[in-house]
Amino acid sequence: MSLDRGHCITCSDEAVPATVVEVEGANATVEADGRRERVGIELVEPVEPGDVLLCHAGIALEKLP
Amino acid sequence: MKYVDEFRDGELAQRLAHEIEAVVEPGREVKIMEVCGGHTHAIYKHGVEHLVPREVDFVHGPGCPVCVIPMGRVDDAIALAERSGVTFTTFGDMMRVPGGRGSLLEAKARGADVRMVYSPLDALELARRNPEREVVFFAIGFETTAPATALTLLRARAEGVRNFSAFCNHVTIGPPLRTILDSPGLKLDAFIAPGHVSTVIGTRPYEFIVDEYGKPVVVTAFEPLDILQAVVMLLRQLREERCEVENQYTRVVRRDGNPRALAALEETMELRETFEWRGLGWIDHSALKLRPELADWDAEERFELPGDRVEDPKACQCGEVLIGAIKPWECRVFGTACTPERPIGTCMVSSEGACAAFYNYGRLARPHDTVPA
Repeated sequence: MSLDRGHCITCSDEAVPATVVEVEGANATVEADGRRERVGIELVEPVEPGDVLLCHAGIALEKLP
Repeated sequence: MKYVDEFRDGELAQRLAHEIEAVVEPGREVKIMEVCGGHTHAIYKHGVEHLVPREVDFVHGPGCPVCVIPMGRVDDAIALAERSGVTFTTFGDMMRVPGGRGSLLEAKARGADVRMVYSPLDALELARRNPEREVVFFAIGFETTAPATALTLLRARAEGVRNFSAFCNHVTIGPPLRTILDSPGLKLDAFIAPGHVSTVIGTRPYEFIVDEYGKPVVVTAFEPLDILQAVVMLLRQLREERCEVENQYTRVVRRDGNPRALAALEETMELRETFEWRGLGWIDHSALKLRPELADWDAEERFELPGDRVEDPKACQCGEVLIGAIKPWECRVFGTACTPERPIGTCMVSSEGACAAFYNYGRLARPHDTVPA
């Protein structure tokens, strides 16, 4: 499943804000528009449930304020 | 939805449109290149071009990775996919991109094991679960997507997953912009720079556009209000004769980008001497390859590839669309021989490609004199 909303996922400039539901090691389960996905969080650690992450191609690129 | 709805507010959009009208100089045409396919898609999808005055002309740039990949690299991907024992994984939009020998989708129909994934991490998981298969990931995209490949490679190495490799086609955004700025006869006044690439690389890499070419730049997010606000910021710079890299996307973009993402890229990849771009030709230091230390995970090192160069179809004018020399609807095959269902050129394949975006959202709203019947 993808958080991508009908965009081309290959496009480097599509990324989706998603809320952290659960953190498990180097991955987090995130939710956007009621859909869930596991993303790698190495680039934005530490994160905790409730944080909003900018996700692209299965990883979190940035933490939103 | 937070971070989305508030950037699509109709009233605010109208207010920004009035602001643009107030700041635009009547009769002075301003050509603004939106570098990224995501912006092109948003402009057509939300009708942003109809909210700006006639003087403002959006020129669609080269920032769609699917659109700039040369046909020879697609053929290499197909050759990999057709190797016995290989499971070839790719983002969905690459499936239909035509190479000289057809597309990956056609290779799949002929029996190749081609799988669509949403992340390179999914490809790595496939490798873990199928140790008897060689799982190859078609790594493509600008600096936004490259960190996902980098993290996946680092995980593969740390876990010793030996049956995973990446066919690396990652590209960088700076060099093609320089190529476009050096094109003879090109008339561009300002740039809307990509927001999410900039979360990784920061705003610093665009400073040469200001310093060496004297063109204003605004790093911009992807909702319609973001784009309208960027237009206001660019017009103000032009009006006040300022020339700066401004950051509209301050909610995630910093001047120095994401240091951890840059470190992951640095650890796994290095610049290629040169790389071919569809429509732009060979551009030095414009793409990434895996570092020699990761040769065991580099599909180009592990498998023999044809490496042939394939000429673009003669009817296709993707190259001219990609540098903004013509509009999508001015291509001789747009909407007739070339459609999203049967694309000839890559700009019609990806939903972020200028031709597909215009075909899907813009063609019915254009004045009749500019659109072929």
